Amino acid sequence: MSGPWVGAALPLKEDVRLVAGRGRFIDDLGWPGMLHAAVLRSPHAHARIRSIDAGQAFACPGVTAVLTGADAARLSGPIRPLIPTTAAVPDYCLAVDVVRYVGEPVAAVAAADRATAEDALELIRVEYEPLPAVVDPHEAMRPGATLLYPELGTNVVWHDTLSYGDVDGAMARAHGVLRERFTIQRYASTPLETFGAMAAYDPGTDGFEFWTNDQRPGLTISILAASLGVPQSRLRLSCPDIGGAFGNKRRPAYLLICALLSRIAGRPVKWIEDRVENLTALMHACNGVMDVELAYQADGTLLALSVRDVADEGKNLLTPTQHNLIKLGNIANGYRIPAIRYEAWSVLTNKCPSGANRGIGKPFMCFAVERSMAILARRLGLDPAELRLRNYVTAAEMPYTTPPGAQYDSGDYPATLHTALERFDYAGWRAEQSRARQEGRLLGIGIATSVEPAGTNLASYELVTGRRSVSGSAEAAMVRMEPDGNVRVAIGDPASGQGYETVIAQIVADELGLAPEAVSVARGFDSAVSPWLYLSGNYSNKFSVTDVGAIVGAARLVADKLRRLAGHRLEIAPGDLDLRDGAVVVRGAPDRRVAFVELCRTAYADVLGLPPGEAPGLEAHHAYQNPLAAPVDADRRVRSQLVFSNAAHCCLVEVHPRTGVVTVLKYVVVHDCGRELNPLIVEGMVHGSTVHGIGAALLEEFRYDGQGQLLTATFLDYLKPTATDVPEIEVDRLEHPSPFTALGAKGVGEGGAIPGPAAVANAVEDALAAFGVTVRELPITPEHVWRWIARDKNP
Amino acid sequence: MIEPAERLAIRFTVNGREVAREVTARRSLADFLREDLMLTGTHVGCEHGVCGACTVLVEGRSARSCLLFAVQLDGATVTTIEGLTPPEGLSPLQQAFCHTHAMQCGFCTPGMIVVTTELLEKNPAPTTDEIRESLAGQLCMCTGYVNIVRAVEQAAATARNATGEAA
Repeated sequence: MSGPWVGAALPLKEDVRLVAGRGRFIDDLGWPGMLHAAVLRSPHAHARIRSIDAGQAFACPGVTAVLTGADAARLSGPIRPLIPTTAAVPDYCLAVDVVRYVGEPVAAVAAADRATAEDALELIRVEYEPLPAVVDPHEAMRPGATLLYPELGTNVVWHDTLSYGDVDGAMARAHGVLRERFTIQRYASTPLETFGAMAAYDPGTDGFEFWTNDQRPGLTISILAASLGVPQSRLRLSCPDIGGAFGNKRRPAYLLICALLSRIAGRPVKWIEDRVENLTALMHACNGVMDVELAYQADGTLLALSVRDVADEGKNLLTPTQHNLIKLGNIANGYRIPAIRYEAWSVLTNKCPSGANRGIGKPFMCFAVERSMAILARRLGLDPAELRLRNYVTAAEMPYTTPPGAQYDSGDYPATLHTALERFDYAGWRAEQSRARQEGRLLGIGIATSVEPAGTNLASYELVTGRRSVSGSAEAAMVRMEPDGNVRVAIGDPASGQGYETVIAQIVADELGLAPEAVSVARGFDSAVSPWLYLSGNYSNKFSVTDVGAIVGAARLVADKLRRLAGHRLEIAPGDLDLRDGAVVVRGAPDRRVAFVELCRTAYADVLGLPPGEAPGLEAHHAYQNPLAAPVDADRRVRSQLVFSNAAHCCLVEVHPRTGVVTVLKYVVVHDCGRELNPLIVEGMVHGSTVHGIGAALLEEFRYDGQGQLLTATFLDYLKPTATDVPEIEVDRLEHPSPFTALGAKGVGEGGAIPGPAAVANAVEDALAAFGVTVRELPITPEHVWRWIARDKNP
Repeated sequence: MIEPAERLAIRFTVNGREVAREVTARRSLADFLREDLMLTGTHVGCEHGVCGACTVLVEGRSARSCLLFAVQLDGATVTTIEGLTPPEGLSPLQQAFCHTHAMQCGFCTPGMIVVTTELLEKNPAPTTDEIRESLAGQLCMCTGYVNIVRAVEQAAATARNATGEAA
């Protein structure tokens, strides 16, 4: 196999260690003398802490340190929010005075081992005064509702209406307006490795060293430094292999708990989240309620969309409004909708804090739009595919800007759907469906199509905060040709299963004329070695939008220097030189060449041989910001995300009429993420994210009772898709490169999770057509289906 | 009555080597393997016996190491991912996992290798349904299982072809 390497389905370098259990994950690491922490959590959804007595716990043999909320407030500052709402209130790493959700950390113990630490937790006496809990977001919005923070005077941290175009005029003119209410449950991607951290305080330098599987280290370092009152230059934070993240792996509170325990104990401290803690208290995607009004002409042409969207944030003071804001990226989905209005409420309740989760908010937005399209098609007597084809933004219109300001960069949405219908054998399955119905079998076909935004432009937060403090989308990279001619690369974005060590090696190999084996990509992250920005990290589907630009930029700086060094030696202009097979070669005269190792010797050892004015070394840093990012404009339009992939999902389900069980029989995905850097990685991500979508559609739900107790806190109650729950995901692709990324690639990590729930729901509704069922809520459990059918039989 | 923190002597075989240790009665096999023997290839994903990440072979049969106490293994034979990996290179099944990219983050992968090794030993020519059935107790949050099924199919086919050639 030889280059070009970008685009090749190269097997993954990291798989060789992972398949043998030789990955290095956070729980595989340790320091000499390290203590183990356990966290005491609130059993109440809302209560005042009257007193905490940790005396007995502290006296327990093996226990070295105990930390309470009062200690945390004394020894550290509040955690700085990413999106400071107008009503910011202090939030410490442990609850102080009041607990606001079941599972909220109340105290922590560091002991010789985890079991001893957990024993000690049982000896901490906390006296609670239970308060009424507010669990439903609509209840929380009502005047007179129980308040999480009485000092705010409300539970609504953001309410605003963003209008783009003449929505009311279009509604008045329309042939009809579809009005529906949809709800989505709380769920999460639940990476198989839980969250974890290690912290070591160094009294000699008054600094801290951290290891963690936090997926956004640049941001986290700044939060830690501010809370601990230590300059960022005295913090070092590293990430090992990360066992999946999907947005969930970011909760600086636990790093602070470890840091404070370590400072008290004078020894390193490690904390590894257990699964019940993970499901109860790490982060959930917001549950929500969305009212949709969709105005249309008689032929199905869409005229306007109005959305009222309530996001239940739980106790999220750090990143509230994300689930709302990000929907501006895909509110129009792939359609030409001239006028759009979006009214948002971000509401605090006594539940687990919400947070980033594969697609953040966009799966619900897509669910509402794609459910509406299915219902509208039925109302108009149109095939659901035909209705979509009448409304797509076409390839000729690219780049196309939606009313809220999202710019669709490239793609052929009608072609994506046509390819999916063909690949699925849509006509064939429609015929089979009719036959099956005659036999009493309930088969249903669901179509959902979507745009998949990538690369968040943080300037969009200004819509909430009213001022710009963070903005853009960027990443940093370092490329260094070592003295022996091999290459080392590091970036500020720690991988969590995306195959960076392989795909980055492919990119750099092409840029430098090497084989990927000659390129080693640093595992994880190390703030003292890796280049990084505040914006760095593994989030928002941003690798193709920013990271690739940083890597290519740094590699080209090294390539240019190699050309200059070789040009000096060969007395040839650098512009006439190519990099190929580990050497700089004269274009048109391949025999005239200088091997990289020769140039490395000059660069690192025989530096008197350098051209005049040339510095020693062959190392370059490059920070790249995607040029599409721009501030919010005067009409409050913004490119909240920058580059758009697209996909069409077709699925076939069968509903068992007596049990209500839904079986997914066939699932086809056709997607277009621009240029595929490594199709093996891309296809794997499509499989996995689609199954996340199916899980959200049929199985997964964090269910709370009226008092705010979580009823689904283990994998026995919170059901994930298993190998027997899902079919093979069949994948085909189109490739319309983005004109706005370094190599034409686009986002692919979230794609399947966005239209997946809508595709399954559309199929279930289609299967239940005879019962007149409209699917308005998720997950579609057997109980729901059974009740829908029964309701029809006993109206 | 044995107290949870009481230390007991155990002796058993792990990856072909006899191991004698004193452990507390409450120490799980998973913690014992990972922390006492430094066999960190066995991963802990839920500690309530659902996710399957910690699966090892006990007397050749798959078992959740998070649900076993180390002291229960006195006299037994245990094989972990380290024991299923040859000293040099990878097993044919592991190679098939790499060829098909049957993992992403890799956290579930050791457990997947353990149960599919067991499957192929019992049933060298499994159907797709039988493969999926064998994986039903193992959660993977990344791959949607598609490439894992392909890897097992590929490994089984490769083994059959090799046997065919030998015969």
